[in-house]
Amino acid sequence: MNEYLNDLSNLFREVLENDDITLNPETTANDIEEWDSINHIYLVVEIEKTYQIKFKSSQILEWKNVGDIVSAIIEKKS
Amino acid sequence: MLFNSIEFFIFLPIVFICYWFFLKKNIKYQNFFLLIASYVFYAWWDWRFLSLILFSSILDYLIGLKIFENKDREKSKKYWLWISMTINLSILGFFKYFNFFISSFIDAFDTIGISLNHYSLNIILPVGISFYTFQTMSYSLDISKNKIEPTKDFIAFATFVAFFPQLVAGPIERASNLLPQFLKQRKFDYKIALDGASQILWGLFKKIVIADNCAPYVNEVFGNYSDQPTLTLITGTVVFAFQIYADFSGYTDIAIGVAKLFGFDFKQNFNYPYFATNISDFWKKWHISLSSWLNDYVFTPLAINFRNHKKRGIFSAVFITFLVSGLWHGAGWNFIVWGGLHGLFYLPIIFSKKRFTAISTAKGPKKNTAKISDLPKIISTFTLVCITYIFFRSETLTDALLFIKSIFYNHSITRAATIETSVILFIILLVLVEWLQRDKQYGLQIQSLKINRIFKWSIYYLVIFFIFWYGAEKQDFIYFQF
Repeated sequence: MNEYLNDLSNLFREVLENDDITLNPETTANDIEEWDSINHIYLVVEIEKTYQIKFKSSQILEWKNVGDIVSAIIEKKS
Repeated sequence: MLFNSIEFFIFLPIVFICYWFFLKKNIKYQNFFLLIASYVFYAWWDWRFLSLILFSSILDYLIGLKIFENKDREKSKKYWLWISMTINLSILGFFKYFNFFISSFIDAFDTIGISLNHYSLNIILPVGISFYTFQTMSYSLDISKNKIEPTKDFIAFATFVAFFPQLVAGPIERASNLLPQFLKQRKFDYKIALDGASQILWGLFKKIVIADNCAPYVNEVFGNYSDQPTLTLITGTVVFAFQIYADFSGYTDIAIGVAKLFGFDFKQNFNYPYFATNISDFWKKWHISLSSWLNDYVFTPLAINFRNHKKRGIFSAVFITFLVSGLWHGAGWNFIVWGGLHGLFYLPIIFSKKRFTAISTAKGPKKNTAKISDLPKIISTFTLVCITYIFFRSETLTDALLFIKSIFYNHSITRAATIETSVILFIILLVLVEWLQRDKQYGLQIQSLKINRIFKWSIYYLVIFFIFWYGAEKQDFIYFQF
């Protein structure tokens, strides 16, 4: 989990252009100003590219926080 | 029952007293009482359509439980969700769009030379249907996405759907915010109640003094546009911008204020939209409860499906979302063009910058931080919004196009509508007050200001005086027609 969180934090910093972002499993879009609905799409695209995975659209819609994203990545990678 | 009617100001204190003095100890009785009061409020307008609200409430209450029961069975979950969506959209479609689709269909055949018999039904649009169906639909959708859990308390759920402050014109509340408030004890708080009362007062001022006084002038300009000079047409459009804002945000202020009197907290629905610095900013500040609904249930699923098409995909999702928004507002091509224009205005925002902001944020509005140096951006955004209002206010698409033509080229000027100076002064007053108060929830939120108490109460009395002295002939709220 932690190693993914570090990688994801970097990815978020780059996509959202905010170097102060540090993610934890409970982080939600409410906690990060730049994480709005359009940037959310860019984040998904970037995560899929980085980890070379493809999520199901319905699965993405169920994410509630960063923890859900990490679980989805781990599930896809295993 | 209208918020700006005598009946309402008899109804409200009765409900308030029974709610806090006789039923204070038991939330089940309180909820049931609010449900009955809400049904009475609605029945005042037309009792026949109460059955629709009740049906919609029962439907999504049961389906919510079914979706949750099947939360690990993807297929059954989808099946129940589809039932809810199909029935809700069919009801909405029938009452709101039946005649529009039939006549568009006949026109389409006409253009290829096939003439069909004109056929339409005399359908009355049940007030509030677009608002409460969206509210119940979001409940089922959120359960299916595991965002919330359903409630077993039917009375609480039915009251959440029908709660009278927001039943007929929103804010479209989400179950995640409002439903839990029906399940826990509400406490009477004098400060919050006073805040609610002053918000109601501000809403009444905006509606009765500003919107209703703008109405005759705007009606004259849009009703006889072909006879009016260019400058009048432009002024008429700008005055309409203030009329619709004062009307709808005034309604919302009354709704939020009334909810506060009963110990409920609604989400903010307007955040000084005319101080927005671009179109995307405007949609984060105007009718927030609708734009965040469309953002969550239309834009996001579309954009996720189109995500491999990059910016083109995002623009398509934005554009479709605004067409839906147009159609939500009314069954007419003018509304669809209105939505389409707002969608098109996102083009430069999406394609020019690497990162940009969304249609609306579900996070809820932040404090308005517009600065005086933003003025050029504020004025250009307001101009774009005004252009779209020509389509919004005109009766038909043809009228809107002829209105625009008359602005540039008009032979038959026979009259010019006149506007009362007091109306212009009130609009200027509104803009000034809202600019000064833009970091507050609403213009008259002066309780926390460090000014003399007597001065503060004088302001309240002055507003009351304006309402009685300058109050115009009572008009329906514009958003009731949606």
